[in-house]
Amino acid sequence: MEYSNPELPEDINTSKTSPLKEFFILTVGLVAIVFITIYLLIVVIDNFADKIPFELEQDLPISGFIEKQNSIKLPSYLVQVSRKVIKSFKLPAPMSITVHYVNDDTVNAFATLGGHIVLYRGLLEKLTHEDELAMVIAHEVAHIKYRHPILSMSHGVVVGLVLSVISSSVGDSVASDIMGTTGMASLLRFSREYEYQSDKEAINSLIKIYGHAEGALGLFKVFESEFGKDQSFEFLATHPLTNNRITQTKEMIERHNITGYKTMTNFPVSFKLWLDKQKESFKVSERELETKHSKTE
Amino acid sequence: MYDLIIFISLLAVGYGFGRYAESKHYISIRKREQELNSLPAIASRVPPPGRPDLSSQLVTGSVVISVDYFKRFIASLRNIFGGRLTSYESLLDRARREAILRMKEEARRLDAEFVFNIKMETASIHKGRGNSIGSVEVLAYGTALYSL
Repeated sequence: MEYSNPELPEDINTSKTSPLKEFFILTVGLVAIVFITIYLLIVVIDNFADKIPFELEQDLPISGFIEKQNSIKLPSYLVQVSRKVIKSFKLPAPMSITVHYVNDDTVNAFATLGGHIVLYRGLLEKLTHEDELAMVIAHEVAHIKYRHPILSMSHGVVVGLVLSVISSSVGDSVASDIMGTTGMASLLRFSREYEYQSDKEAINSLIKIYGHAEGALGLFKVFESEFGKDQSFEFLATHPLTNNRITQTKEMIERHNITGYKTMTNFPVSFKLWLDKQKESFKVSERELETKHSKTE
Repeated sequence: MYDLIIFISLLAVGYGFGRYAESKHYISIRKREQELNSLPAIASRVPPPGRPDLSSQLVTGSVVISVDYFKRFIASLRNIFGGRLTSYESLLDRARREAILRMKEEARRLDAEFVFNIKMETASIHKGRGNSIGSVEVLAYGTALYSL
């Protein structure tokens, strides 16, 4: 008996498809599916979150949490500007705004459940005019007017839950990472949408109060010098790139026909002095904290 | 953002090196298959009749081979959508052919006329860490017949 091994033809056991093409189709497919699912989910959630009464938010003990961090009573000037801004909004009946001030270096301000707004000294120090302060407050009030805090919280909870269920059943770390990132990116899209909406509403409020919107441009200039030119990809950021926010502002200014040079309202000297004192007292309390720590050590 | 950059670089590295290693390996496999073609390896369980003069000995050839990051990524997506795991097909094809070649090389050293009753075993090596380690071992073994 004669034995021989024939030369086997190639490509029976392997296929000739291009791996890059396969990669492209699979990745785009997965990202699209996750994106569409979460998008639809959020649309459904929004229908329910909208119906949560504002009074329920007000019952939450949020004030207590904020007051624990170096928060002190608002100086009368901040009260005055906040009132002016809030009045320009004509909020519906149960909604109320509580403005808090926290003596901390953080350059930020935020709005949260129950109509609470927190302004940090770090941000107030960077501002140069009252218009910018009004822009900050108006932006946060707009978040509350459109109920963004409760909406984003519901998104976070539901999308987080769905993603963790999916990724645990997929069981593969890389694929579930991709799904997680896609899910986050689609959530962030909504977050940025809310920022644009609040900017728009805040600019309208500025125009009502001051007759122009220089305060918005001034605030964004502060952001640019504070946070530098935008470095990250927008699709991974909670806020739109400052450049894009400026573009939207300029478009609105043109639409309202209020282009040209406008003067902003200065801060009263007393407010600046008060801020300086606050900073001083913050430093002192930090030093005290340090010495306390070193003593206990 | 950095996660994304790292991920894309890993994919690119996996794709580049994986492709290079694979095409090099296939060239070597084809060349050696031609060289060893004169030494048949057959699956028949019984030796050819009428050759009591031949001695026999076990010959084995085993190979451990790993996928690259890019292939593993495609495979993990395939786990969701289903379909041919093309990225692993070439991996196993290479491993099987390499194992047989190594077995035949051992047989050639014995000056064997042929190898009969060849069998193959496949084992995946990851010890429960299948998500991060994608390597397989393929073992080919058979009985070489050679004249003393």
